[in-house]
Amino acid sequence: MDKTTKINVKDLNLFYGDFQALHNVSMDIREKEVTALIGPSGCGKSTFLRTLNRMNDLIDIVKIDGDINYDDKDIYSQWDVIELRKKVGMVFQKPNPFPMSIFDNIAYGPRTHGIKNKAILSDIVEKSLQQASLWEEVKDRLHKPALGLSGGQQQRLCIARVLAVEPDVVLMDEPTSALDPISTSRIEDLIDELKQNYTIVIVTHNMQQAGRISDKTAFFLHGKIEEFGPTDEIFFNPSSPKTEEYISGKFG
Amino acid sequence: MSSAEVLNPPVSKGRKEVVSSPQSRKLRMQEKVAKGIIWGLAALTIAILVWIVGYLMVKGLRYNNMTPYNVTPYVERVIDLDGTEDDLVFIINRGVREQDIEVDGLRTLFNKRRNENWGFYNEQNLRAQPVVNENAGDFSVQVKDFILAGEDLDDYRGYVEKASSWDEVISYVGGTEGAIGFLPASEAADLPRDVKVLGVRRKAIAVNPSVLMIKDSRMLRELTDKQAEKIAAGEVSNWMEVGGTDLPLTLLDSENIEVNMEALQSTEGAVMLTDYRYVAEYGVRSVPVLRHETGWNLTWHFITEAPARSGQWGGISYIIINTFFLILFTILFSAPVGVMAAIYMVEYAKQGRLMRILRMGTETLSGIPSIVFGLFGFIFFVRILGMGIGFISSTLTVTLMVLPTIIRTSEEALKSVPQSFREGSLALGATKLQTIIKVVLPAASPGILTGIILAVGRTVGETAVLIYTLGSNYDLVSGPSSSARVLSLHLYMLFSEALSFDRTFATGAVLVILILLTNFSATFMMKRMNKNSGM
Repeated sequence: MDKTTKINVKDLNLFYGDFQALHNVSMDIREKEVTALIGPSGCGKSTFLRTLNRMNDLIDIVKIDGDINYDDKDIYSQWDVIELRKKVGMVFQKPNPFPMSIFDNIAYGPRTHGIKNKAILSDIVEKSLQQASLWEEVKDRLHKPALGLSGGQQQRLCIARVLAVEPDVVLMDEPTSALDPISTSRIEDLIDELKQNYTIVIVTHNMQQAGRISDKTAFFLHGKIEEFGPTDEIFFNPSSPKTEEYISGKFG
Repeated sequence: MSSAEVLNPPVSKGRKEVVSSPQSRKLRMQEKVAKGIIWGLAALTIAILVWIVGYLMVKGLRYNNMTPYNVTPYVERVIDLDGTEDDLVFIINRGVREQDIEVDGLRTLFNKRRNENWGFYNEQNLRAQPVVNENAGDFSVQVKDFILAGEDLDDYRGYVEKASSWDEVISYVGGTEGAIGFLPASEAADLPRDVKVLGVRRKAIAVNPSVLMIKDSRMLRELTDKQAEKIAAGEVSNWMEVGGTDLPLTLLDSENIEVNMEALQSTEGAVMLTDYRYVAEYGVRSVPVLRHETGWNLTWHFITEAPARSGQWGGISYIIINTFFLILFTILFSAPVGVMAAIYMVEYAKQGRLMRILRMGTETLSGIPSIVFGLFGFIFFVRILGMGIGFISSTLTVTLMVLPTIIRTSEEALKSVPQSFREGSLALGATKLQTIIKVVLPAASPGILTGIILAVGRTVGETAVLIYTLGSNYDLVSGPSSSARVLSLHLYMLFSEALSFDRTFATGAVLVILILLTNFSATFMMKRMNKNSGM
């Protein structure tokens, strides 16, 4: 199967004021693969993830230096930020449905991009919820508040909300860290299915999770990529002793 | 032994040993004392609250006065007149709310000594229009004598309407607002629905001047209705018993008026229950009698009628409408500005020293006494901008006054919206504006609404600002520069000009009810909003 590079990061340096959070990070993210980012707390993996759809723009003191190309175009100079975020969606650590109905939550993205037709919106909502395997659970209560759902359902709703704007890439920032084991396994199954159509980059604290769901894994340490390669290699045959120590639980 | 007792053997009543130590007993004692104090204070707070609101409402809803009159409270609906064959009945238009009137009132009504209005008797702003039957000859002359006793007048004054028959009098009274007329009792047997009989109070307590003299630092000022009854029944033998001086009381008959009047004038401590017209005619003194008057203060009429005579008559309908206008326009001006300022401060502005100064400024402004705002509004809007005292000046001043409140509460509401909502929206490719309008503002709306309700509360309760900028006209607001009154200002004017204590309390009750309604509706709206959003 021919897989092309979706996102190409080259020599990325990121500063919070004077503090350098990322050092010369380079990475190729391939189409329709799951790339897991692992590493101890504060190693810069979430910062890196948020850079990919320019969520770090929201923080005034962040300075970025280096190239990030999405579909071979620079995300800072050649992509409009709104267009970029449409293509590169993001799921957050804590489920964050908006305080409105389930339907309105899913329809929020399409609506902001100008779709007003009720029938089209209904189709999008149904399709997205089915993709996020939530449709069967909520189809009778689409107009009830989304905040009435359970945590796991809320996270799947957030995934459906991202899918509703038809992205290419889905970024996930520890999507299961606030969920119970059953909800977690459902989300993992979901990620496995979504892989067919989407490129996924996932930050996780959970080593087993990275092992279970990812094709490639990047191990971040102190703002640098310590090791990046196919997941099997990273887990069973790491080239760096630091990686081995981390994976075997010696620090973290 | 029944089966129930077998199944549930009685539990032993004796005290069981509890494992405890001096330390734990002490702690429990402390706990109990603290709980007692907290409960006591809470109960005190609730009691004070209930007492204040209850007192205001009771005083506002009911009046309960002792009003002095020259005549006793005894009401005659059919008057037996000396020297006439037929009895006399006074009739009024159904629209007049008066039930009975003292005979002196009738005299002024038929004599037009002033701009006669029913307001003087029942606070109903309605012009009084008397009517007489020209062709009734003797009867009308006798009645004229009765009403105009002591007045040297050849005829009824010109403004009295003339009718040519009793039927015409009845139909005139029925068809004219505020009309009053009189009939022989024989003609008043079958009155139409739009005419009713007016009771008359004419029995006065005429006394020898010695009764009203000061003796031993005491003096009879007035009698209560009960005391007057006792005197009339002959149960009082000394004036001391009814609050007067030490003087034996002699009750005289009123049958042979000339003889008895002479006796009254010559006997110390003499008293006679007689028609009030003889008091004037013979130039004797009478004792004022207190009538116990009670009833509804806050009536439908009070709320719906227009105010008149500085608010002494009529109701407060215009004033309520003015209040709503003031609220409406204040919120119309202040809410958009305040919410947008808050959006700027939370969402757009760089959080630096400038913002800190701005925040401190708004906080200081919200704490400034309103009279200072009033002064500012008077100097700036009224004088410098030349808007004059009126609705627009006051609305703008109140807007400035409530703006800090709205900004502060909106700011807090916006800040309390989780950052994750904003991130979620932006990550979907929404712009900042879309995020604010579609996600942040709806999520913050209960808090923003609270701020607006607080602003409404402040506007309703504001007086000091409005004294300088709104004036005191009690008409309906007719334009941006028209002076007006709102409820709080009306209350202040009624009280400070001592126009009517009852009306002050009734206005206060309306204010309390208005604020209660505002708060209830705010709570209701917030509940609904929260239900819809699921928060």
